[in-house]
Amino acid sequence: MDTGLSQEKLREILDRVMRNVTEKESGILLHQEKDPPRGDLYTVYIVFDKGFRHSVSMCAEENMFKRIARHMMQEERVEPQDVEDCAKEYCNVLCGHIAAELYRATKVASRFGLPVFGRGNCQPQNHRKQFEISYSSDRNEWIQLIHHTYVPE
Amino acid sequence: MKKKVMVVDDSRILQMQIGKILSGTDYEVACYCQSGEEAVEKYGEVKPDVVTMDIIMPGMDGLEATRKILEKDSEATIIMVSSLAYDDTLEEAKRIGARGFIGKPFERQQVLGALEEVLAET
Repeated sequence: MDTGLSQEKLREILDRVMRNVTEKESGILLHQEKDPPRGDLYTVYIVFDKGFRHSVSMCAEENMFKRIARHMMQEERVEPQDVEDCAKEYCNVLCGHIAAELYRATKVASRFGLPVFGRGNCQPQNHRKQFEISYSSDRNEWIQLIHHTYVPE
Repeated sequence: MKKKVMVVDDSRILQMQIGKILSGTDYEVACYCQSGEEAVEKYGEVKPDVVTMDIIMPGMDGLEATRKILEKDSEATIIMVSSLAYDDTLEEAKRIGARGFIGKPFERQQVLGALEEVLAET
């Protein structure tokens, strides 16, 4: 089922969670932008499979994910595998907080699967983009949060 | 003597973060486990003073692993570590017998404070 929340309410929840979790996880303050990220992009997404059927993805420039990894690992130098693993953990934490906020709003408990990481702007199968929110950081790194709804075959 | 901690999480990043927090403290990581199944299997052999347990893991989740460990050892001290910090999950963890909860993302003092609190009760 979908959340039953208006798109505006859902967008507000996701925006709030995205900013809070990103700041706590990486120290990065995000500012909303109109334009999406460009350049060398990577995506990490998670599919919710209990409670609500939807998915959340984050598409960002490589520099953004690298910065997040450096902060999470407290290391200046990070390898590509570190960037992937940190992006997955970051997405995992984000979705946990989204699930918590959706529970507070709807009293429906949800669960999600394992994060998937890939190059480019990718999305889960059988999901359609509903809306996106773009952000930039204080160092001009860009990231986009995308909400998808489940579309049965 | 340092208190032994078993860290259960499928994320090597989380394992690394907790390991760094505990380095140089009165706690030592006795064992890292990647899954609920591994935690249940190794608990008896490792005999940790406290377990930090992620909830969402492939295969057996942390709530089920907590249940199974407590079946073997009703005195086991288990702290759930998760971003699923809402009433439903917290209540279930408590009902199963977890002694504490650390929300992700966490800071150093949250982890050390939670360990100190649960071990003071034992």
